[in-house]
Amino acid sequence: MGVLSSIINGILMGGVYGLLAMGLTLIFGIMKIINFAHGAFLMVAMILSYWLWKIMGLDPYLSIIIIAPLMFLLGYLTQRFTIKPVLDAEKDVREPIGALLLTAGLAVAIENFILMVFGADYLMAKTAYSGASINISSLSISVPRLYAFVTSLVVAFLFYQFLIKTELGRAMRATGQDRGVALLMGINVSKVYSIAFGIGTALAGLAGIVLIPFYYAHPSVGAVFITKAFIIVVLGGLGSVHGALVGGLIIGLIESVAAQYMTATWTAILIYFAFLAFLLLKPSGLFGSRYEW
Amino acid sequence: MRNFITPRYYLPALMIFILLLIPLFISSPYILHIMAMVLFWAYLASAWNIVGGFAGQLSLGHGVYVAAGAYVSSLLFANIGLSPWFGMIIGGLVAALLGVIVGYPTLRLRGAYYALATVGFAEGFRVILINTTKIGSWHTGGAEGFLVPLLGDAPQHMQFMSKVPYYYLALVLLLIIVGFSFWLDRSKLGYYLTAIREDEDAALALGINTSRAKLIAAALSAFFTGVGGVYYAQLIRYLEPNAIAGAIMSNQIVFLAIVGGRGTVLGPVIGGIFLTIIGEMTRILFDQVMGLHLFLYGIIVVLFVIFKPRGLIELVEKPYEKLVKMLNGRRVEGAS
Repeated sequence: MGVLSSIINGILMGGVYGLLAMGLTLIFGIMKIINFAHGAFLMVAMILSYWLWKIMGLDPYLSIIIIAPLMFLLGYLTQRFTIKPVLDAEKDVREPIGALLLTAGLAVAIENFILMVFGADYLMAKTAYSGASINISSLSISVPRLYAFVTSLVVAFLFYQFLIKTELGRAMRATGQDRGVALLMGINVSKVYSIAFGIGTALAGLAGIVLIPFYYAHPSVGAVFITKAFIIVVLGGLGSVHGALVGGLIIGLIESVAAQYMTATWTAILIYFAFLAFLLLKPSGLFGSRYEW
Repeated sequence: MRNFITPRYYLPALMIFILLLIPLFISSPYILHIMAMVLFWAYLASAWNIVGGFAGQLSLGHGVYVAAGAYVSSLLFANIGLSPWFGMIIGGLVAALLGVIVGYPTLRLRGAYYALATVGFAEGFRVILINTTKIGSWHTGGAEGFLVPLLGDAPQHMQFMSKVPYYYLALVLLLIIVGFSFWLDRSKLGYYLTAIREDEDAALALGINTSRAKLIAAALSAFFTGVGGVYYAQLIRYLEPNAIAGAIMSNQIVFLAIVGGRGTVLGPVIGGIFLTIIGEMTRILFDQVMGLHLFLYGIIVVLFVIFKPRGLIELVEKPYEKLVKMLNGRRVEGAS
């Protein structure tokens, strides 16, 4: 694969990373919770989408209609019935660590539940376009990645419009900036949290669905993605939505281009340690908020 | 002398005594092995508790330190014949150094950055372990794992054919960490850490060098965890990167401490004993079901965080205090 091809394929993958990271950063920006179950939710969507394809022959992209609302509901209920009681108990604590632990516990429970029910097999929806690529002279672009990228960008655009233009989006941003004041302005903060967590989960689910035509799913696949998502949100600035997208593209690009010069695993190592160095130099990230963090 | 014959002293002494006697009544190596593991997990949870509980800084990558201790001591043992007893110190120090490397850039920051950095670092470390087959001329095994050379009965190299010495060694480690936690809880550093956990701004305003205190806690915690890793290497004698440095190890350590009660001296011990026994029991009862015991762990953690955020210690403390009072009362009655 030439350098140009790897740049393009890296950017395509980066779009999916960005979509995943956007959900994570949304939840953090509004609730101040790092959702460790984010990768597990991505995995659930991948597995669901795979089985819908396998049993009903439903194309993963069509399964979005079923799975995205389901994931939203899953996230909504998770926040309502598990995170909310913890947050209420920790109301006066500035950094709600209990909620973070809760999501870590949930992640382990979900992963192993899926392992119990579906087994540890590696699953991929081998659709007609799974192996296809567009070749322009020496350039080779993977078709499923292209679809995933375009879908990710469309979703990201719609989500951004929702956040900026709608009343609910405004309420969510207000809650993220100051939950006390938002409450005084008559915003139902608890409901906003549930919706934000639902949307964040749905975004993770969408990222999972667009991955399944070209990426193998297994119960612990979430761990691979969530670590990258953590790095991306810190790179882009915790809580910054467009930062997450840009961060995703950067990480996708680095991963793909560096793989031209070293083995993929050393690329991963490079990213992890560059991340630590980045934390040392610019902890607020590229688009970090003015707020301390 | 008379002061020492109160329940406050003789109850803990009695418990230690019982723990010391256990190997006399259990001859099954399998059960002794499990009991050694129970004590070992309680030890790891207590080691984590120094940074995660007392200082309130959530580390989700303690597997790195277990792996550092295990690999450093085992490699030195296999290649230059250095006894793991010395390896314990070197392994612990290497782990502490890694703890500082992760902590230095991130402990200056607030909130979730440290948790995120520990995850990233641990993941990077695991990938390195999987992809390194040699350091110089020393083989590390890479993804296949590393087999610690077996010498048979070699006490000078921390290897025994019987499980009894391993049990006692785990007990000694546990007593050391509990003693250390007890001291820390009442030391100046301990008060600094508690202040940081409760309100970092206030602690800073009172003139506490918060990032320094946190870094010391992280290094101490990593040191003890690394020492635990050396023990693990000699007990299991097989180091597998995913098992030892992966998320399962790291999460398990955290979960034990949380369920027991983080930030308390005995909470992680109670959590370690309770959860490890449950884990072993589900493993025996439902052998075929993959992932069940971790699923239960996850659910138990979730339930505890929601309903008993202070952990099991809360449930144990009250009956214990009652018992102490009752015994105290009886003694006074008898004296009069």
